[in-house]
Amino acid sequence: MFRQQRTSTRTLIAAVLTATALTLSACGADSDDSGDGSTLRLWHYEGANSAMGIAWAEAIKQFEASHPGVTVVYEEKGFEQIRQNAGMILNSDQGPDILEYNKGNATAGLLSKQGLLTDLSDVVAERGWDEMISPSVATTCRYDANGVMGGDTWYGIPNYGEFVMVYYNKDMFAEYDLSVPTTFAEFEGVLDTFVDNGVTPISVGGAEYPAQQILYELALTQADRSFVDDFQLYANPVDFHGPEFSYAATTFAEWVDKGYIGADSAGIKAEDMGVAFTQGSFPIMISGSWWYGRMSDEITDFEWGTFLFPGSDLHPGSGGNIWVVPSNAKNKDLAYDFIDITMQPDIQNLLGESGGVPLAADPAAITNPKAKELIENFNTLNDSDGLAFYPDWPAPGYYDVLVAGVQQLINGSKSPDEVLDEIAKPYNDNLASIGE
Amino acid sequence: MAKPLTRPHPRTRAGASARKADYGYVAFLLPGIVLFLAVIVVPLLMNIGISFTRWSGVGTPEWIGFDNYDRLLHDTNFWISFRNISFIILAMAVLPTLLGLFLAAVLFDYVAKRIGPRTASVFRSGLYLPQVLPVAVTGIVWGWILHPSYGALNSILDRVGLGALAQNWLGDPAYALLSVMAVMVWFQLGYPVVMFMAGLQRVDPELYEAADLDGAGWFQRFTRIAVHQIRPEIYVVLVTTTIAALKIFGQIFVLTRGGPGNATLVPSYFAYQNFFEKADAGYGSAIATVLTAIIVVLTYLFLRIQTRDERLEGS
Amino acid sequence: MVAATTARRGRPGRLTASTVLIGLTVLTLLVLAPFLVVALNAVKAPAEYAANGPLSLPGELYLRGIVDFWFRVDFGQKLWNSFLISATVAVGAVVISVLNAYAIGIGRMRGRLAFLMFFLLANLLPQEALVYPLYYLSKQVGLYNSRIAVIIIFTAIQAAFGTYLLSSVFRDFPRQLLEAAAMDGAGKWRVLWKVVVPTSWPTLSVLFTFFFIWTWNEFFLPLIFLISNDKQTVPVALGVLQGDRMMDATTTSASALLGIVPAVLFFLIFQRTLTRGVLAGAVK
Repeated sequence: MFRQQRTSTRTLIAAVLTATALTLSACGADSDDSGDGSTLRLWHYEGANSAMGIAWAEAIKQFEASHPGVTVVYEEKGFEQIRQNAGMILNSDQGPDILEYNKGNATAGLLSKQGLLTDLSDVVAERGWDEMISPSVATTCRYDANGVMGGDTWYGIPNYGEFVMVYYNKDMFAEYDLSVPTTFAEFEGVLDTFVDNGVTPISVGGAEYPAQQILYELALTQADRSFVDDFQLYANPVDFHGPEFSYAATTFAEWVDKGYIGADSAGIKAEDMGVAFTQGSFPIMISGSWWYGRMSDEITDFEWGTFLFPGSDLHPGSGGNIWVVPSNAKNKDLAYDFIDITMQPDIQNLLGESGGVPLAADPAAITNPKAKELIENFNTLNDSDGLAFYPDWPAPGYYDVLVAGVQQLINGSKSPDEVLDEIAKPYNDNLASIGE
Repeated sequence: MAKPLTRPHPRTRAGASARKADYGYVAFLLPGIVLFLAVIVVPLLMNIGISFTRWSGVGTPEWIGFDNYDRLLHDTNFWISFRNISFIILAMAVLPTLLGLFLAAVLFDYVAKRIGPRTASVFRSGLYLPQVLPVAVTGIVWGWILHPSYGALNSILDRVGLGALAQNWLGDPAYALLSVMAVMVWFQLGYPVVMFMAGLQRVDPELYEAADLDGAGWFQRFTRIAVHQIRPEIYVVLVTTTIAALKIFGQIFVLTRGGPGNATLVPSYFAYQNFFEKADAGYGSAIATVLTAIIVVLTYLFLRIQTRDERLEGS
Repeated sequence: MVAATTARRGRPGRLTASTVLIGLTVLTLLVLAPFLVVALNAVKAPAEYAANGPLSLPGELYLRGIVDFWFRVDFGQKLWNSFLISATVAVGAVVISVLNAYAIGIGRMRGRLAFLMFFLLANLLPQEALVYPLYYLSKQVGLYNSRIAVIIIFTAIQAAFGTYLLSSVFRDFPRQLLEAAAMDGAGKWRVLWKVVVPTSWPTLSVLFTFFFIWTWNEFFLPLIFLISNDKQTVPVALGVLQGDRMMDATTTSASALLGIVPAVLFFLIFQRTLTRGVLAGAVK
C-alpha cells in the first residue's frame, strides 16, 4: 500500500505539473494586429465550394496582388457563432476589419443601432457602389437610427442576391404530361394531377424556414409593394386578418387538406426537404436560389428546372449577405478596397459562373446555361422591384414564431385565424417597442 | 470498509483542539473560494442585476425594476417550459437512476463475477458512450432515426407489421416531448451505471459473504447491502441528473428547438431565445434568475435530506 | 476486488448467464446504434447520400469528406486546443475538488452545508446566465478570446460537481486511517496527500474522466469565448458546417466522426486506468 501511495502521489504531481505547463502554453501571446495597414482581417462563412467562396477567394488573390505588403488574414467562421455572438465580438477588440453578416433588422439593423458598424455612406458615394445596386437590394444595405432597413445610412454592401422560386422535376412532370404553369390556377391544376396520382407534390421543410416562405409567397400573390413596405419597413400597421395574410393562411391550410403539402412535414428540416427532392421523392420544391449550386452538382438521375411562383410579381428574396466594417476595425481603408474588388465585373461574373446570383454581372458573359437561367430570373425580379424580403425579418425571434405557427397549420392543431392571431402578437409587440 | 468504532464527539475532545481543527481546514477552501467568487458569484450577481433592466446586450442598461418579472408571471411560454421540464426530469433523473441501479448491479455483481470483469467493462463503456457524443451529432442522428418518412424507427415498425404505430416523432406536438424524453434516457443511462459501479467497488465483500451465509437471496443482498452502501453515489446521481434536467439546453437546441410550437420548450432555451435571438437580455436574465433560484432551492432541500440521512446513519 | 470466490449454490448457471448476456448485448447495441449511423455516413459520398438517404450502406469507402474537413478547419489544431483545455480543466478541477472535499467531508467543519451549496452553485447556474457577465469581466482583464478564460471558467464549473461528489464520499472515509496517520504525527496536509488521495484514487479517476469528457464536449461557452479560429475547440469547429441554410449531411457526419473518435479513445484509455486503479486501491 505504501508503494502504491507513492505512485499515485507521483502521478498526481506529474499531472499537476503537466497541467501547469499546458496552462502556461495556453497563455501564448496573441498575434496582435495593429492598424498599421499590413493586414486585413476578413471573416466570412460561405463554404469554399460555394459560388461566394470561390469568388471571394479570387478576390482575396486580386487584393493581395494589388496591395503588396498587405496580407489578408482570412478566417472561415461558423454562421451560428457569428449570428449568435456578433454583438459581443464587435464590441471588443477581437473583431475583424471586414466581415460577411446577415442583412435585416434583427441582424445588421440591430448592430447598426448599437453603433457597432461603420457608416459607409461617404465611401459608397465616393466609390460609386450605389450605382451598381438596385433600390430593392439597397433597402437591406441602409438602416435608419432605429435599426430598420430602408433608412438613409449605408452600413453594408452585398455582392449577390437571392430569391425563392419553384424547383421542379422535369421527368415527373413529363410522366403526367404537365407543362410549366404560368398562372396560379394552372399551378393548382398541376398539384391536383399529382395528388390524383398518389404523389404528394411539394417537398416541404416544416421544421425550418421553407414552410413559412411558402406561406409568404401565397400572401404575396394578393399583395403589392405597399404591403411589403408596411410589413417589412413598418410604413403602416399590418392587418394580419387582411386579404393578404388571410388568403395565405387559409390557402396553406387548404393545400394541406388537399394533400399538396404532406401532413407530416412539420418535422422535416430544410436539409431533408432538399435531399428528398434530389432523390426524386417529390416533383416540386419551393425554396431559394441557395440550393441551385447543390442541385446542379447532386442531381444526376433526372432533368430539373425552375420557374417563378406563378400568380405574383413579388417573391421572397433580397440582396444577399452584406460586407460590413466594424466600428472598431483597424484597417478600414483596406476593407473598402476589398469591397471594391468584389464589385468589379470579373469577380461578379465568376460569382455567376459558379452558380451564384451576382448583382452586377452581365448575363451575356455567363457561359453556364443553368447559371444564365438563374441570373436572368433574378434580374427580372430585381428590375421590376419584385424582391419582398423574408417573412421572419420584421421582428427578432420572429423566425421561431412563424415556424411554430406554420407547423400548427400543417398539423391542423389550430385554425388559420388562430394562427394569424398568434403570429400577429409578437410582430405588433415588436413594432410598439421600436425606437425605445 | 468497516464502520468507525467510535464517532468522534466534539465535546469529549479537548474543546480547544476541536475548534482549531475546524479553522485549520479553512485554508484548504481558499483556492476554491477565490475561483468561485470570480467566476460564479460575481457573474450571478451581475445577472440578477441585469434582470431588473432593459438591455440589448450592448450599450447601457436601463433600469425598469420588476417589469421583467411581472411579464414573466403572465407569460404562458414560461409556465409551459416548466411543465415540460418536469417530464424531462422524469426522463433524465428518475428513469436513468432506477435503470442504472439495476444495470450496475447486474453488471457488477453478476457479469463481472460470472463472466469476467472485462466483459462488464465493455458493456459499461458501451452504455456510457452516448455521453461522449457531441450534442450536435446527437441531434443529427436522432433526427435521422426519428424521421417520419425514411427514419429507422418507422421503417422498422413498418417491417414488423406495426406500421400503424408510426408517427411524426419530432414534428407532432403530441409525441415531440415523448421522443425527446426517450432520447434523454438513452443519453443519460450510462452516467448512473458508471457512478454506481464505481461505488459498488467500495462495498466490503465481507458484507456480502455474511449475507450469503445468512441465506439472503440476490435481490435482498442488492437492496439491503449494495443500495445502502452506495447511498452517497445515489444521492449525487439523483441530484446531478435533476439539475442537468432543469438546465437542459443543448439537446433541445439540436432536436426540436423548443418546438413544434412550444411542445418542447424548456426554461434554458427560452432564456437563450431572449438573450440571443430577441436581444432582450433583461428578460432573459430574469428567466435565468428564476430558473437558478428554483434549482438552488431544490438542491438545498436535497442536500438537507442527504445530510440528515447521513447523520442518522452515523449514529 | 477479488474475482468470485463465493461458490454459487448450483443455481441454473448457463442459461441465466446467456440470457443476461444477450439482453445486455442487445441493449448496448441499441445504445450504440446512432454511432454506427454516423460512421456509416461519414464514409459515404454526398451523391450516394442524396440518392439513397442516410440509412443506406455506402457503395464504396469515401474518405474525401473526412480528409477535406480535416484540412478545412485545421482539425489537428482544434484537437490540440480541445485536449489542452480539457486536460487542464480536468486536473485543476480534481485538485480543487479534493481540497474542498477534504475540508468539507473529512474536516467536517461547521457550516459545511453552506460551503457545499456555495460550491455547488457553479453547477446549478444555467450557462446563459453567466455569459454576458463573464464576457464583460473577461474583456476587463483582457482575457476575452483566450483559452485561459475557458479553462478558468470550466475548472470552476466542474469542480462544483467534484466537490459535491467527493465530500459525500469522504464523509464515509474510514476514520481509523486518519487517526492512525494523525497519531504518526502527520499534519492535515500530509494526511491529505499520503492517505486520502491514494485511497480514493478510483473515485478521483472517475472524476478526472468525467471532467475531461464533459469539458471536451462543451459547446456553448467556448463558442462565445473562443473567437479566433486558432483557439477553437473541436465542438466549435463542428459548428462551422451549420451554414445559414444548407447543412451538408455527409460532411457533417465526417466531422462528427472526427469529433467522436478522440473522445471515445480517451474514454477507453481511462477505462483501463479506472479498472486498474480499482483493483489496486481496495481498502483492506
